[in-house]
Amino acid sequence: MTTLITGGSKCGKSSFAEMILEHFQGRKIYIATMQPFGDDAFEAIERHRKMRAGKGFETIEQYTDIHEISLDKDCAVLLECVGNLCANEMFAGGAIYCPNDKIVSGIKSLSESVSELVIVTNQVGSDGISYSDGTDDYISAMGDINRRIAEFSDNVIECVYGVPVLLKGEIPC
Amino acid sequence: MVMITGGAYQGKIAYVMRNLGVAESNITDGSVCDLKELKNARCIRNYHELVKRIGEDCIDFTKELCRDNPDCIIIIDEIGCGIIPLEKCERVWRENVGRCGCIIASASETVVRVVCGVPSVIKDVTS
Repeated sequence: MTTLITGGSKCGKSSFAEMILEHFQGRKIYIATMQPFGDDAFEAIERHRKMRAGKGFETIEQYTDIHEISLDKDCAVLLECVGNLCANEMFAGGAIYCPNDKIVSGIKSLSESVSELVIVTNQVGSDGISYSDGTDDYISAMGDINRRIAEFSDNVIECVYGVPVLLKGEIPC
Repeated sequence: MVMITGGAYQGKIAYVMRNLGVAESNITDGSVCDLKELKNARCIRNYHELVKRIGEDCIDFTKELCRDNPDCIIIIDEIGCGIIPLEKCERVWRENVGRCGCIIASASETVVRVVCGVPSVIKDVTS
């Protein structure tokens, strides 16, 4: 089962994602994509670590190249989040490039190889602001990647201030 | 408690007046009101602006309000679905609005999201 969870900033996506896997009996893996650069990132990483503490997750830090991860069939995976993964792929080197196919195929093969996959992503295209080229490219990439992940996901859920809104499939908890 | 959300200018106030029977004079504007009015307010609008006014105490403030005014109708814009702002204070505000919104939604029996004037009840534990 693959579930995509989207929504805005601090709207309860992570808590909801963890809740979906709460009763999973077996190995639970948390794939963290946020790089520990800057105070904000440290705070966010620390907060998420505390949230997950005692919930039985093993953490894998993977900032780019999600296709390199290979896991057993019987485990459950929480991938957080596509927004960071996309930014890391796009802006890590000197030149900005389009990581859409790489990210979508990497996540798709993960979804086919593990027992449960919960993917946390972000809605970034609804502030109505025109940005510079790089940021506009990012918004466009996120829109495309989210649509393509939603296509192969069984469930798509939007979190609105902690309230799950079902967009596709069912709410699996 | 009832929470009304959605983007700016989607018809949230019209919904409250039409569907919940609240007169305009009973809607307190969180962006300018005296903070003392809030504990007895029938309805508060612009809660996202109120979060900015209160600053770092907004989480405790929101929890207290949910406890002390449990029948209040709270109107709060959805503001978090964009690019992370460059300015630290804007980032903090945006995150605080998310956290306060989660607290209000959790305390609410009903949460309604209004888009293009069309309401969707996204949480209802009254029935």
